Amino acid sequence: MEMNGHNTVEKDELTGDILLSGHESDNIRELDNNLPKWWVWLFIITIIYAVVYIFVFDVIKVAPYQQEEWTKEMAAAGTLAPGQHAPAAAGLIAFTDKANLDAGKEIWLKSCKICHLEGGQGLVGPNLTDKFSLHGCGYADVVNVITIGVPEKGMISWKTQLTDLQIKQVASFVMTLMGTNPPNPKAPQGDPCK
Amino acid sequence: MENQTFYYDNKIVKNFAYATLFWGVIGMVVGLLLALQFIWPALSFGIPYTTFGRIRPIHTNAVIFAFVGNGMFTGIYYSLQRLCKARMFNDLLSKINFWGWQLIIVFAALTFAFGITTGKEYAELEWPIDLLVAVIWLVFGANMIGTIIKRRTQHIYVAIWFYIATFVTITVLHVTNSLAIPVNIFKSYPIYAGVQDALVQWWYGHNAVAFFLTTPFLGLMYYFLPKAANRPIYSYRLSIVHFWALIFLYIWAGPHHLLYSALPGWAQSLGVVFSVMLIAPSWGGMVNGLLTLRGAWDRVREDPVLKFMVVAVTAYGMSTFEGPMMSTKTVNAISHFTDWTVGHAHIGALGWNGFLTFAVLYYLIPKMFQTQLFSRKLANLHFWVGTLGIIFYAVPLYWGAITQASMWKEFTADGFLKYPNFLETVTQLQPMYATRAIGGSLYIVGILLGVYNLILTIKAGKFVPEEAASAPALVKTAVKRESGEGMHRWLERRPVQFILFALVAILIGGLIEIVPLYLVKTNIPTIASVKPYTPLELQGRDIYVREGCYTCHSQEVRPFRSETERYGEYSKAGEYVYDHPFQWGSKRNGPDLSREGVVSGRQYKPNSWHYNHMLNPQRLNEQSIMPVYKWLISDDLDLTTTAKKIRVMQFLGVPYPEGYDKIANEELMKQAKGIADDLKSQGIQVEPGKEIIAMIAYLQRLGVDVHAAGAVNPSPVK
Repeated sequence: MEMNGHNTVEKDELTGDILLSGHESDNIRELDNNLPKWWVWLFIITIIYAVVYIFVFDVIKVAPYQQEEWTKEMAAAGTLAPGQHAPAAAGLIAFTDKANLDAGKEIWLKSCKICHLEGGQGLVGPNLTDKFSLHGCGYADVVNVITIGVPEKGMISWKTQLTDLQIKQVASFVMTLMGTNPPNPKAPQGDPCK
Repeated sequence: MENQTFYYDNKIVKNFAYATLFWGVIGMVVGLLLALQFIWPALSFGIPYTTFGRIRPIHTNAVIFAFVGNGMFTGIYYSLQRLCKARMFNDLLSKINFWGWQLIIVFAALTFAFGITTGKEYAELEWPIDLLVAVIWLVFGANMIGTIIKRRTQHIYVAIWFYIATFVTITVLHVTNSLAIPVNIFKSYPIYAGVQDALVQWWYGHNAVAFFLTTPFLGLMYYFLPKAANRPIYSYRLSIVHFWALIFLYIWAGPHHLLYSALPGWAQSLGVVFSVMLIAPSWGGMVNGLLTLRGAWDRVREDPVLKFMVVAVTAYGMSTFEGPMMSTKTVNAISHFTDWTVGHAHIGALGWNGFLTFAVLYYLIPKMFQTQLFSRKLANLHFWVGTLGIIFYAVPLYWGAITQASMWKEFTADGFLKYPNFLETVTQLQPMYATRAIGGSLYIVGILLGVYNLILTIKAGKFVPEEAASAPALVKTAVKRESGEGMHRWLERRPVQFILFALVAILIGGLIEIVPLYLVKTNIPTIASVKPYTPLELQGRDIYVREGCYTCHSQEVRPFRSETERYGEYSKAGEYVYDHPFQWGSKRNGPDLSREGVVSGRQYKPNSWHYNHMLNPQRLNEQSIMPVYKWLISDDLDLTTTAKKIRVMQFLGVPYPEGYDKIANEELMKQAKGIADDLKSQGIQVEPGKEIIAMIAYLQRLGVDVHAAGAVNPSPVK
């Protein structure tokens, strides 16, 4: 332990590492070990990463900021961007096959019932089971309302969330609700259907 | 030199230890209730005081400031006296620190339950309690620094460096982030708005993690680990390098909570790179801890104290690697707003803080009671149950996070979102949430075993309130460096200089990031169509803050196709300029709301929908996990505050016309009648003076101004 003239250093018995003299706090000693090499390299690599990152993004600005990333992502999506729906013509015929109606019901449960309730009896949105309608009773009318929406009354346009086919499927399902008698129906709104 | 005899104050340590156990159990049980509300939303009991938005802050604050905070004080009050070879500076200050802190916790729990909150995460306390926190914190600091000054040892040990950094930085963070103008004793508006508020808040939030959950616990590790293992610290040099690197770099990393937000790109870049540079300094603590155990690994197998420490330090190493990874934009694009963040936070809280706290308690309680731990077996059982608890908590959340993020981002071949209904992505996670609740329960079982074990230990022992010790008095040394004395060795015997150096180290990053956001106008481009909230909307916004809506709903659309398709325009800095406080949120348990009011948007709902939804969310969506908010419908809006709120906003620079405060309530009622009439046309009878009207008004305003500006998003290049 003593350094007086003999230059002897105290060593840790278990590891043989050198104990720092005079470093004793409430009997806690400290060893004179160097920083682990891998640790120093890890630190240096992260610092290099930082310098390069700032240089690329904020000094020479060749890497894209988020706005540019978004623009590129949207461009890559290109014509896939939703919203290309032709209006439905009168005389359009609803699906009656099970597969399309089941698909329509699935969409109904995910997207429509939160306003019209599960049986179509209406709550926020109108009752779709009675013989009255605000925007027309025909299949083509229903397709158009779903596609374009009636935003001022809270019916959003679904053309950005549903494909043309999906809108037709769910509209076909809505047609099957008419005339059913679910519990607690909302009072009739709009004009009587012919 | 003659030895002086003195006495360590064990009583204050004991008090803090008991408080740690008490608040630990409470904080975690509240956490379990929150976890169960994901599965059974009815567990919000239909009353305001137990809804998710109000008790989530109770949980986070109880665990961070009550459990970990008291645990930190326990360890510091025990180790500081022994490392300084001195009794605490002043017994009265110790008592004020203890009782003051407990009082703050009680106030916090009560005010949060009553909806008195600033709406800023981990800084939800309103201004009078903030003041009390500042006073008590300064009392703690004075007591600690006083003890260091009158120490009997020449040099201050590395544990104390970390305690000093903790005190200095938390003081700066707390004061800066809490600056606000009061409306009344229960309500204030922060002086910062929008992007600036977000940056200051996350500079605070991130560094609360750094300097409340990390640095004090590294200090505790540096004392209790070598003591328990009876081994020397692996490397003094590593202590120095990683300490200074850690405190200097940490303070810069806050913006990593705001990646892909409206925060300027340069600030985001700083958040990324400083987080990555933190890996090595953080790991320095883990390396120094684990390598200290060289030669003692056989004892780790037997000694529960060391076992808890090893898992704690390993959890620390894991989360300080995970953190920087989550701070890269690539990972953050997936992890942000999901349960990944929650899993990450709990590896830190349950593993690092929780396990280290119990290691410390298992170590010092038998010592202060002059006995052995009642049952090693029970402590080992606690260890295994707790470890399993952490695994069952975290793994399902990571899994769920990746599942949900993938669902948010998935497009069909036709270019539509595959899961346009947000709720589907929540319902999908139900099994993960159930498993998480089981993990949390296991962890609580472990804690209860620990409490039981410690109570029996206490009963079996005899408490030593005044522990005699002796040491020679401190010899005065030269102010200047002595020949052959290293720079840092000199600093270790000059605590005042040490404190100043630490202060400078932590101020640099904060100043460089925050100041330009105020002085450089181009950082927040204004949008002409963005106008202040109407009085009714402002009142509604304050209800939104009161109910803690931000704990589940973000108001920040990120510039990804999957988000602009789902919500609408991505967020711009200029749209938030009147938001005191900002309400961007950090977790989406429900959809983003910042485009809620855009009539032509994808998220729009009519007034009557909001009314029905607040009254009973499950009626509209059986799977919904949103709590019922029926009191909004029955409670009257408090109109007495409107004028004062307008005046405070004017003081903060919100451009209401001169004298607007006098007509504010008149304007408010006009708008409220409009909404009530619209509801009436839908068959809903509600008076215009009810809170629900204000809430609907606020929700219907969200996103309207930015949309009025036309296509703010640059149009995609075709």
